[in-house]
Amino acid sequence: MTLVGVSVGLFALGLYGVLTRRDVVALLASIEVMLGGALVLLVGLGASRPDGSSIEGLALIVLVVVAAEAAVGLALLVAAARSSRTTRIDEMTEVRD
Amino acid sequence: MSFALMFWALTALAFLGGALVVLTRDVTRLALGLGAFLLAVAGFFALYGFGFLALAELFVYVGGVLVLVLFAIMLVHRAKPGAPALEVRHDVLAAVACVGIVGFALMAFGQMGAVYPLPSSAGPSELGELLLGRMLPQFELAGALLLAALVAVVAVSEGGSE
Repeated sequence: MTLVGVSVGLFALGLYGVLTRRDVVALLASIEVMLGGALVLLVGLGASRPDGSSIEGLALIVLVVVAAEAAVGLALLVAAARSSRTTRIDEMTEVRD
Repeated sequence: MSFALMFWALTALAFLGGALVVLTRDVTRLALGLGAFLLAVAGFFALYGFGFLALAELFVYVGGVLVLVLFAIMLVHRAKPGAPALEVRHDVLAAVACVGIVGFALMAFGQMGAVYPLPSSAGPSELGELLLGRMLPQFELAGALLLAALVAVVAVSEGGSE
């Protein structure tokens, strides 16, 4: 219960950031907070299982996927900021318009 | 130091860092908060006995992704004078949705227990055997994904400079 509460609380904190932030840097950082909460839950619940190494392997692959997501997201941010001269997500309207 | 004390200290650090990320207006504080949060997550991994995972989190996130975030901040905000301010637009509906998700998840998964699970006995050798054995396809797929992400980053960056 405690571990679930802490992890879900961290996930909800990150979700609040995703819903209220408009700057892409802050959005990506909030997504990192959400994923961090999920990883803590995965590892914490997996630690009580006898096959802990499989959870560790799964968490390692999730880490790799999240790192790739962060790298691509930040590259997209830099490219979008160069072309539209803003980092606010509601002002990047080239694709919509 | 007892497990519970470490657990709550890491919880406080994670929430402090997460709150800085979500609420601050200053990008430097945002990066500091993200660093504190990632350190706390690595501490959780170490606390639960996953030393290798904690090291990977430290190297990949605190040493890699956080530096990447700092570089992105420098590249994106360099043209603006003074300290760049981030807008925080608080929303009651968003807060209600987040609290609802916490309540729903606690109702759904609260019975899963594991208040303080025992630390895992799995070591790096078991992890190595697992990654190069049963989980080899997933491991290779993750490597291919990283390579694809690297190529995508180069392609996106070149496209932006034209």
